[in-house]
Amino acid sequence: MSAVAFDQVTKKFGDTVAVDEFSLQIADGEFMVLLGPSGCGKSTALRMIAGLEEISSGILTIGERVVNHIPPRERDIAMVFQSYALYPHMSVENNIESPLVANKRAKVDATERTRRVHEAAETLGLTEYLARKPGELSGGQRQRVALARAIVRRPEVFLMDEPLSNLDAKLRTQTRLELVDLHRRLGTTFVYVTHDQVEAMTMADRIAVISDGRIQQVGAPQDVYEKPANLFVASFIGSPPMNTILGTLQGATENAAASVLTAEGTLAIGHPGSAQPGTELVLGIRPEHLHATDPVDAPGAVRATIQNIELLGHERHVICTVGATQMTVRQPNDAPPLAIGQAVSLHADPAEVHLFDPVSTERLN
Amino acid sequence: MATDPTVSAANEQNRLNQTAEKIVDPLVPAPYDNDKAVQSPRSGLRNAVATTTTYLVLTALSVIVLFPIYMLLLRALSSPLKYISAGQPLYPVSIEWDVFNRAFGQASLGRSMGLSFVVTFVIVIAQVLTSVLAAYAFAFLEFPLKKLAFVLVIGTLLLPIEVTLIANVEIIRKLHLLNSVPGLTFPFLVTAIGIFLIRQGFLGIPRDLRDASELDGYGHLRFLFKVAMPMSKAIIGSFIVIAFLGAWNQYVWPRFATDRGAWQTVQVALRTIGSENPGELNLGFAAAIVASLPLLALLIFFQRQIVRGLTAGAVKG
Amino acid sequence: MNTSPLNPTEQAQGESAQVTTVSAPAKAQTRRFGNKVRDAGLAYLFLLPALIIFGVFAYYPLYRLFWYATHTQSRFRNKPASYVGLEQLKASLTSNDFISGLTHSGLYMLYTVPLGLLLGVMLAVSTHRRLKGIKVFQTIFSSTVASSVAVASVVFITLVNPEIGYFKNVPWLSLRNPTSALFAVSLSSVWQNLGLTFIVVLAALQTVPDELIEAATLDGYGAIRRFWRITVPLISPALLFLGIVLVVSALQAFAQIEILTGGGPSGATETLLFKIADPRGIRPLGVRASYSLGLFVLTAIVAGAQYSIMSKRVHYGD
Ligand SMILES: Nc1ncnc2c1ncn2[C@@H]1O[C@H](COP(=O)(O)OP(=O)(O)OP(=O)(O)O)[C@@H](O)[C@H]1O
Ligand SMILES: [Mg+2]
Repeated sequence: MSAVAFDQVTKKFGDTVAVDEFSLQIADGEFMVLLGPSGCGKSTALRMIAGLEEISSGILTIGERVVNHIPPRERDIAMVFQSYALYPHMSVENNIESPLVANKRAKVDATERTRRVHEAAETLGLTEYLARKPGELSGGQRQRVALARAIVRRPEVFLMDEPLSNLDAKLRTQTRLELVDLHRRLGTTFVYVTHDQVEAMTMADRIAVISDGRIQQVGAPQDVYEKPANLFVASFIGSPPMNTILGTLQGATENAAASVLTAEGTLAIGHPGSAQPGTELVLGIRPEHLHATDPVDAPGAVRATIQNIELLGHERHVICTVGATQMTVRQPNDAPPLAIGQAVSLHADPAEVHLFDPVSTERLN
Repeated sequence: MATDPTVSAANEQNRLNQTAEKIVDPLVPAPYDNDKAVQSPRSGLRNAVATTTTYLVLTALSVIVLFPIYMLLLRALSSPLKYISAGQPLYPVSIEWDVFNRAFGQASLGRSMGLSFVVTFVIVIAQVLTSVLAAYAFAFLEFPLKKLAFVLVIGTLLLPIEVTLIANVEIIRKLHLLNSVPGLTFPFLVTAIGIFLIRQGFLGIPRDLRDASELDGYGHLRFLFKVAMPMSKAIIGSFIVIAFLGAWNQYVWPRFATDRGAWQTVQVALRTIGSENPGELNLGFAAAIVASLPLLALLIFFQRQIVRGLTAGAVKG
Repeated sequence: MNTSPLNPTEQAQGESAQVTTVSAPAKAQTRRFGNKVRDAGLAYLFLLPALIIFGVFAYYPLYRLFWYATHTQSRFRNKPASYVGLEQLKASLTSNDFISGLTHSGLYMLYTVPLGLLLGVMLAVSTHRRLKGIKVFQTIFSSTVASSVAVASVVFITLVNPEIGYFKNVPWLSLRNPTSALFAVSLSSVWQNLGLTFIVVLAALQTVPDELIEAATLDGYGAIRRFWRITVPLISPALLFLGIVLVVSALQAFAQIEILTGGGPSGATETLLFKIADPRGIRPLGVRASYSLGLFVLTAIVAGAQYSIMSKRVHYGD
C-alpha cells in the first residue's frame, strides 16, 4: 500500500501537452478517480504512474520513492486496461499467474503461486474457467481475468483505465459494486480513469476532474457536485447538465438575498459571495433546483416556453427556451401536467444557485 | 482517437484474440470455403443444364492441368524403348515398377534427395531464426540508424540471387565453399521477405498487450518467446511453409554453386538423371515424381499456410 | 540526466532530495524495458546475422558486379584484370547478344503473364461455387504448386521434347523451330504457375462479399457484366500482385531453358539470365557482369512496384 503524489508533473508529446503541471496527492488506500472528457490526458497521467510514459518534467512519487526513472516492473503496481490486454494464447490460469512468473521481483515458489492464483480466481469467481483461453470467455469474464491478474501480485497501487467501458450497462453497474467491494477488502490505493461521471460518483473516495491536461478540481464526489469549482466542472458533472444563463448581479447587500437580472427576467439567488453588484456573471442552476410555474406569479423568475418534455418513467425533463438559451427542469412524474409550447415562469431555489465569473469561469459564491 | 473508445477497444480485444487463435488474414480466407459461393436461383431444367455445363468445363480444365502429370507417370512407369517402339501411346507399355528402386540405386537419387533435405532444413531454420530476431529489433526496439538498417534489408529485394549469381559464385569459390552445404546455403540464411512478414505480425500485437507484459515484468527474451512469437505463429507458420517451398525448389544457385555430381541437389540432378542412356529415360521421370513428393505432402498437410504464405509474399515456387 | 542510469533505483533515490525539474528524452514509443543503451545493443545483436549475410551475399556481390563490369579478365585466371572504365559495360549492354537476351526475356513474359493470369482466373472462377465435388477440382487445380521449375521442365520433356515428346509433331510447339521453341518452353512455366495463380485468385474471390454480388444481381446486372464491373475490380490487387510475381519469374527463367532446349535452337531460347549464367561458359565474366547489372535495373523496377503494393496491402489489409 502506498500513496501516490504528482508534483508539477508535465507530459509532452512533441508539441502537444497531454498533462500540464499536475499536482495531486493520492492518499494511501484511497480510491481516486481521474475523470474527464476524451483526450484530456487522464490515461497519460495513469500511464505515467505505471511507468509506461516517461515524465517530461516534475516529480512523481509512489510511497517514499521518486519513480521518475524506475522501470514499470520495479514499481510494484498493477494495471487493468480498457481492452483487458489478456494474452490470447495463454489459458486464464497462465494469464493470471503471468506477473508472478515473469517478474523476477515478484517471483514466488510454485505452490505459493498456485495458491495465489486460485485465491484470485476464487475472489473473482473464475475458478471454473481457469483452463479456458480468453477468446472463450464473455466480456465480463475477461474483465475479471484482467482484475485477477492485477490482484494476484498484491501491488502497492492498482491502476485502471476505463475497465468497464466494454461491458453492457447491466454488467457495468454490477461490476462497479464489485470493484468498490474489492477496494474495501484489499484496502489498496486505487487510481481509476474514466470519462463516465456515474462511475466516478459511485465509486470514488475523491474525484480529480481533468480538462485539457489540467486538474480542474479535486474533492469528494458530493463536494464536486455541490460546489463545482468552475464552469467546466459544473457542466461536466451532473446529468442532465447544469443550466447556465448570463446575468447582472443586483442589489446585493451583506446579508440580504440578492437577485440577478437576465434578459428574460430577474432570478432570486442566495448569498452572492465575492461578487460585486453590477458585475456580469454566469448563473448555474441544476435541473432539480429549477421549477416551472404558471407565468402569472412571476417575481424572481424568468419567462420561458416549453420546447420538449422527455419522459423517463420515474421523472421527466422539461426543456424550455429562455430567450436564446435552453434550460432543463427536472420534475417528478406526478408534477402537474405541462404542454409543449406552453409559457411558464422558471424560478430557482435561491440557495442552490451557483455563480461563476464569465471570464475566468471560476466559482464566485 | 476519433472513434468511439468502446468500439475500438472491443475491436482491439477481438483482434487480440484472433491473432493467436486460428486466424486467417482477412485478405485470405480459408482456401476452400464453399459456403461463400454465389449462385442465382434458376428453374429446375435450366439449373440442371447449367450444372452439367459447369462439370464439363471443370473436367476439361482438369484434363489440361492433369495431362502433363499423367504423361509423367506414364513415361516413368513404361519401359522407355518398348514405349517408343509402341508408337508412344496414351497408355503405359510394359510397366516397370522397379524404376524407383533403380533411380535410387543407379542414379543415386537418395543422395541428392538427402542433400536437398539438409540444404532446405538449414535454410528454413536459419531464415526463421534470423527473420524473427531482425523483425523483433525492427518492431520492438529503438536504436540509432534504424531507418537505414530497414532500408538495407528491404533493398535486398532488388538483389535476388539471379542478379548477383556470378559474383556470388566467385565469392563462394574464393571461400573454397563450392560443393559444400555452407556454399549451398550461405546466401539464403536471411530473407527480407521473412523479416518483413514477421515484423508485420509483431506490429499487429496491440500496444496494450505490450504495456501489460511490461508491467508483468517480461524481459525482451521472455516477451519474444512467450508472447510475440506465439501470437504471430500463424504468420511464422506460413513463412516456414513458403520458405520450405522456396528452398526445396531452388535451381539456379545449387546449379552453379556445385560442379560435382555428388553435390547436386535433387532439382539440379533432375537435369541429368537418365539422360545419357535412352533405355533409362524413365529414371529421370521417376526422379521428378520423387522430387515432388515432399511438396505434395506439404500441400496436403499445410494447405492453409501455403495459401496464406503464397498470398502474403512474392515467393516463387 | 540523458545518460541512462545503470541502476535506476539508486539514481531516483539520489534525486528525491532535490526538487528540480526532471527532463527526459521525449521519444520512446516502443518498449521501455531496462535501458536504452542495452536495448540498442540487443537490437544490433539481433540484426547482426541478417546484416552480415546481406552484406556478404547481396551488397558486396553488387559491388563485385560493378568491378567485373569495369574490368576485363584474361582467360587465364592467374593474369591480373585490367580496368576499362564503362567501356565494357556500354558495349555489352548495346550488343546484339544482350538485346536478343532482352527480347527473349520480354517474349517469355508476354507468353507467360497474360496466359497465366487468364487461366488462373478461369480456374478460380469456375470452382468458386457451391457444387458437389468442387473440392476435388480445387485440389486438382492447386496441385501444380507442388512442382518446381525443374520438375515442370522434366514434365514438359514428355510433351515437347523433339524426340520423345507427345506433341513433337505439332508445329507451334516444336522445340526445333526457332520461332516456336520459346513459346513451347514458356508453356511449362504457365503450367507450373497455375497452382499459385489459382490459389491466389480463388482466395481473392472469396473475399468479395456476397451482398455485393447479390446487390448487383438485383440491380439487373448479368453474369458477365457482374464479373467485369464488380468482381474484377475487387480482386484487382490480387491480380496485380500475381502479375508482378509472374513477371519476376519470367525475368528469372533459367531451369526450363537449360532442361528443355539448352538455349537452342541456335540461341533462340537464350533468355537474359541464361546468357548471364552462361552454362557453356562462352562469355567473358565482365560481359556477364554487365548483363547482370542490366538485370538488376529490370529487377529494381519490378521490385519497386512489388514493394509499393506490399506496403499498400499491409495498410488496407489488416
Ligand atoms: N503516444 C502519443 N503520442 C502523441 N500524442 C499522444 C500520445 N498519447 C496520447 N497523446 C495525446 O495526448 C492527449 C491525451 O491523451 P490521453 O490518451 O491521455 O487521453 P484520455 O484522456 O485518456 O482520452 P480517452 O478518454 O479518449 O482515452 C491527447 O491529445 C492525445 O492525442
Ligand atoms: Mg484513455
